[in-house]
Amino acid sequence: MEGLLFNVNNGYIEGIVRGYRNGLLTGTNYANMTQCETIDDLKLQLGPAYGDFLASLPPNPSTSSLAAKATDKLVSEFRYVRANAVGSLARFMDYVTYGYMIDNVALLITGTLHERDTRELLERCHPLGWFETMPVLCVATNIEELYNSVLIETPLAPYFKGSLSHQDLDELNIEIVRNTLYKNYLEDFYRFVNSHPDMAGTPTAEVMSELLEFEADRRAINITLNSFGTELSKADRKKLYPNFGRLYPEGTLMLSRADDFEGVRLAVEGVADYKAFFDAAGLGGGPAGPGNLAGGAGPEGRSLEDMFYQKEMEIAKSAFTRQFTYAIVYAWVKLREQEIRNITWIAECIAQKQKERINNYISVF
Amino acid sequence: MSGAGDREAVFPTRQSLGVMKAKLKGAETGHSLLKRKSEALTKRFREITRRIDEAKRKMGRVMQIASLSLAEVTYAVGGNIGYQIQESAKSARFRIRARQENVSGVLLPAFEAYLTEGNNDFAMTGLGKGGQQVQRCRETYARAVEALVELASLQTAFVILDEVIKVVNRRVNAIEHVIIPRTENTIKYINSELDELDREEFYRLKKVASKKQRDTAATDAEVKSKKDRLAALEEETGSNGPADLLAAEEDEDVIF
Repeated sequence: MEGLLFNVNNGYIEGIVRGYRNGLLTGTNYANMTQCETIDDLKLQLGPAYGDFLASLPPNPSTSSLAAKATDKLVSEFRYVRANAVGSLARFMDYVTYGYMIDNVALLITGTLHERDTRELLERCHPLGWFETMPVLCVATNIEELYNSVLIETPLAPYFKGSLSHQDLDELNIEIVRNTLYKNYLEDFYRFVNSHPDMAGTPTAEVMSELLEFEADRRAINITLNSFGTELSKADRKKLYPNFGRLYPEGTLMLSRADDFEGVRLAVEGVADYKAFFDAAGLGGGPAGPGNLAGGAGPEGRSLEDMFYQKEMEIAKSAFTRQFTYAIVYAWVKLREQEIRNITWIAECIAQKQKERINNYISVF
Repeated sequence: MSGAGDREAVFPTRQSLGVMKAKLKGAETGHSLLKRKSEALTKRFREITRRIDEAKRKMGRVMQIASLSLAEVTYAVGGNIGYQIQESAKSARFRIRARQENVSGVLLPAFEAYLTEGNNDFAMTGLGKGGQQVQRCRETYARAVEALVELASLQTAFVILDEVIKVVNRRVNAIEHVIIPRTENTIKYINSELDELDREEFYRLKKVASKKQRDTAATDAEVKSKKDRLAALEEETGSNGPADLLAAEEDEDVIF
């Protein structure tokens, strides 16, 4: 049924995005890239995919400028798609940008808190999270003004309202603010894809639920693991877990009580995928080093984060097997982001002449 | 003449000879002391050079690991977190303490790194993702900074020691090649002057003595000739003057 009218509004977009997906680098490309000796070689290898954007780079560019140019490409493509999107797809794509917006707002809050000139920060903001009224936020000189203008001017208002007051911005660690916002965002996004009449019950809802649930679980696990040894209390930690996902509610409850790596492992026992990750990570890095890229440097000793990324990419890849869904846009953005990370990593390894770990990239095509 | 070499402007007197001899002795003692100091410093200097070499190599390795771990952070976090880190750092966690080390009288600054406890300003950075990498990267960089601090204290010591060794060597050389020869020259000069004076004195004395002798001889001769003349006169008077009763010639024996 959903296929009947999908193409009226969204057929073009789907076609474009599928085209973009085909432009993603494949395993062969990556294999070629890892053979490069200099950044210039790498640039040459990236030519077919990123030619126009890399053309303006000077010879032997820095990795960060390479990554910036690669991001530029993603941004310009995303903007093109967004400009052509209508109706619920347009809203869906706005939702995709909210995640980046949260990062930008968090950046501005940090700047305001430390009484920096926030205008300088605008350049550092992620272009995908750019919204028209963002420069307005820079007018605010104290936290209260900023809070009010965020509430009025940004689409993030619902995420602030109810869970954060302007005192919280002052007192709480910015990371807690960010993660609270992100939690609210994920929950809202989840609700949106499952309740909007255009999406509920369609493949979009299905695929997006899977992706968002995975994202929620990953955040919950990461927050737990990263909070060991910090002043984040268990009660505060619990507030940062999104209220959905495959771990919710039993797993998250157990996560909120976990004291160490072992506790986290027990909490995720119920989900076979995560259990497998933890078993592998437990063997590779040991309890001391979950997410340890450096510790288990062997080919099998992949870190937890690596495996999460791998899993995310696989889910995103499988999203393209479905027809008539908005989820491919989200999946494409995620895949592209991973690709940029891969390029940065490979470029970094080449620049630092540390080729032994160059194969740490994640390629799913 | 002994005054050909460089010498100090002194009057060649016995007193200044004494002063010069004391000076020479002082210079020799100073020379040997400074020489020993310079050797001690050079020994230390070599050691520091070797340690700098080691530290630099170590720094190279550590920095490489550190920048790779930074790359890991970029990979895991998927963006630039530099600003957040800069803003959330409030007080220095890694501090250094300066100490002084005494090497043969030279004070070398030595830096000692230490971590302040319980100071974890950005423990929460990357809470959502990449927190582990951020923490590990921080540790790696702490090690890198440690290596840098060590290198810095070695380099400072290197520069200072270099300067001091140059000064000491300059002094050693100055004493060895300028002061000692000059003092020796002066002593030689004074000695030769004094000898000269001695010789002159001796000659003068001899001259005086010989003059005296001559004078004495003259006086003697005069006295003698006077005596001779007197005797001759006496003889003359004895033959035709009143006869000396006592000094009469033998009287004729009176026979009764």
